[in-house]
Amino acid sequence: MNLDFGQFVPNIPYILQGILVTLKFVSVSAIVGFALGTILALFKIGRVKVLSWLADAYTSVFRGTPLILQLLLFYHATPQLTGYDISAFEAGVLSFGLNSAAYISEIIRAGIRAVDTGQNEAAAALGIPYRPMMKDIILPQAMKNILPALMNEFITLTKESAIVSVIGVFDIMRRSQIVAAEKFKYFEPLLIAGIIYYVLVMMLTLVGKLVERRMSRSD
Amino acid sequence: MIKVENLHKKFGKNEVLSGIHTTIQKGEVVAIVGPSGSGKSTLLRCMNQLEHVSSGTIWVNDKKLTDSSTNIMQLRQSIGMVFQHFHLFPHKTVLENLIYAPMKVKGLKRQIAEKKAKELLEQVGLSIKANEYPKRLSGGQKQRVAIARALAMEPEYMLFDEPTSALDPEMVNEVLDVMKDLGNSGMTMVIVTHEMAFAREAADRILFLDGGKLVEESEPSAFFNNPQTDRAKAFLNKVL
Ligand SMILES: Nc1ncnc2c1ncn2[C@@H]1O[C@H](COP(=O)(O)OP(=O)(O)OP(=O)(O)O)[C@@H](O)[C@H]1O
Ligand SMILES: [Mg+2]
Repeated sequence: MNLDFGQFVPNIPYILQGILVTLKFVSVSAIVGFALGTILALFKIGRVKVLSWLADAYTSVFRGTPLILQLLLFYHATPQLTGYDISAFEAGVLSFGLNSAAYISEIIRAGIRAVDTGQNEAAAALGIPYRPMMKDIILPQAMKNILPALMNEFITLTKESAIVSVIGVFDIMRRSQIVAAEKFKYFEPLLIAGIIYYVLVMMLTLVGKLVERRMSRSD
Repeated sequence: MIKVENLHKKFGKNEVLSGIHTTIQKGEVVAIVGPSGSGKSTLLRCMNQLEHVSSGTIWVNDKKLTDSSTNIMQLRQSIGMVFQHFHLFPHKTVLENLIYAPMKVKGLKRQIAEKKAKELLEQVGLSIKANEYPKRLSGGQKQRVAIARALAMEPEYMLFDEPTSALDPEMVNEVLDVMKDLGNSGMTMVIVTHEMAFAREAADRILFLDGGKLVEESEPSAFFNNPQTDRAKAFLNKVL
C-alpha cells in the first residue's frame, strides 16, 4: 500500500474550508434542536396531557427512524409537498435540528427530573408560581446535569453531520469525496477528512471537560 | 384560624387520614405528635395543599383552602413552611434565598426586601452568613435560614415538619430556640415533632395522631402527665 499525501497538498485548503460549513451547519442545527428540545421537554414535564403525549410521540418517531432517512425525506418531500425549493443546507438543518430536538428534550427532561422534588415543594410553599419556579429555581439547578450531556449531543451532531454530504452540502466530508473523485484516489482524502473530524471532536471534548469542571466548582 | 373539618386523605386505596377535625386558633402553638406513619406530615401538608385532600374541608381564615376555585398560590403566601431537609435554593446565597419570593411573588423592591431579610437574619443569628451559599452552612444554620426565608413572606401561619430531625444533636437547640422565640412573639405555629420536651414546653396544645386518626387533643401537661387513651400511653412509654 502506498500512501501519497504529497499530491493532495494543493487540495487541503479546499477541504479545510469545509470546517466552516460543517461548524455552521452543526451550530444552526444545535440551536434549532436546543430551542425545540426545550419546548418539548417543558411539554413532557408539564401538566397538559395532550402536549406531553405529543412530545413523547415526536421523540419516539425521531429516535425510532434512521437520521439519513429523515434527511432524504425532508430534502425530497419538501419541494413536492409545499412547492418550496429547499436547499441542501436548509434540509440538513431541518432534519438535524428536529432530530436532535428529540434527544435534547430527553436530556433536559432527565436533568429537570434529577432536581430534588423538595425544591418544587419549597417554591410552592412560598407561593411561587410555576413559571418563575421553573425559570429561576429548577432550570438553573438542572443545567448542572444538562450541560455535560448537551456537549455530548453536540459532539455526536458534529460527527453525524457528515451524512449531509449525501444531499450535496459542501462540508468536510463532501469536499474530501470531491477531491477523491477528481484524482481517483480515495484513501488519502478520506484520511484527511477523518483527521479533521477527530481534531474537531477532541476540541469539543476539551470544551466539554472545561464546562464540566466549572459546573462542579460551583457546587 | 385554620379549621380542619372531617378531613380524609387517601393515597390510592390507602387511607392515611380518616376524619380529622381540629381548629388552630390565631396565636396558638400546636404540636402534632404520634408514631411514624401515623399521618402527621400528611395532615400538615394538607394545610397548605402540598397534598390535596380526598374529602373534607380546610378553612384558612374565611377562605376555603380546599375549594378548587380558591387561589392556593395566594393563600400559601400567608402560610410559611419549614421542611425536615431545609430545601434551601442551593444556587442562591442566603440573602437571595430570603428575598427571592418577596420580590417575585409580592413585588417588593429589592431594597425593601433586603432590609427585611437582614432583620430576619439578625433575628435567627445569622447576619454574618448573608452572602454564603447554603452548602457552606451547618444543618442548624440551614434550618434557621429556612425559617427566615419562610418568615420573609410575612406569613400569618408557620408549619414545621420535623424541623430538627435531620440535625446533629448539638444543633437541635439553636433551631428550637428560634422557634420558641417565634412562638413567644405571637406567631401561629403548627409543628410536627419528635422532640417531646420541646412540645411540652413550647406548645399550647398537643395533637396526638395514630393510624390516621386524631386520638387525643389536649394541653401539654394533661397529655404528658395524664394521657387518656392506651395508644397515647403506649406511645409516650416508648418515646419518653
Ligand atoms: N406520596 C405518598 N404516596 C403514597 N403514600 C404516602 C405518601 N406520603 C405518605 N404516604 C403514606 O401515608 C402514611 C402517612 O405518612 P406520613 O408521612 O404522613 O406519616 P408521618 O406521621 O409523618 O410519619 P413520620 O414520623 O415517619 O414522618 C404512611 O403510611 C406513608 O407511607
Ligand atoms: Mg413525617
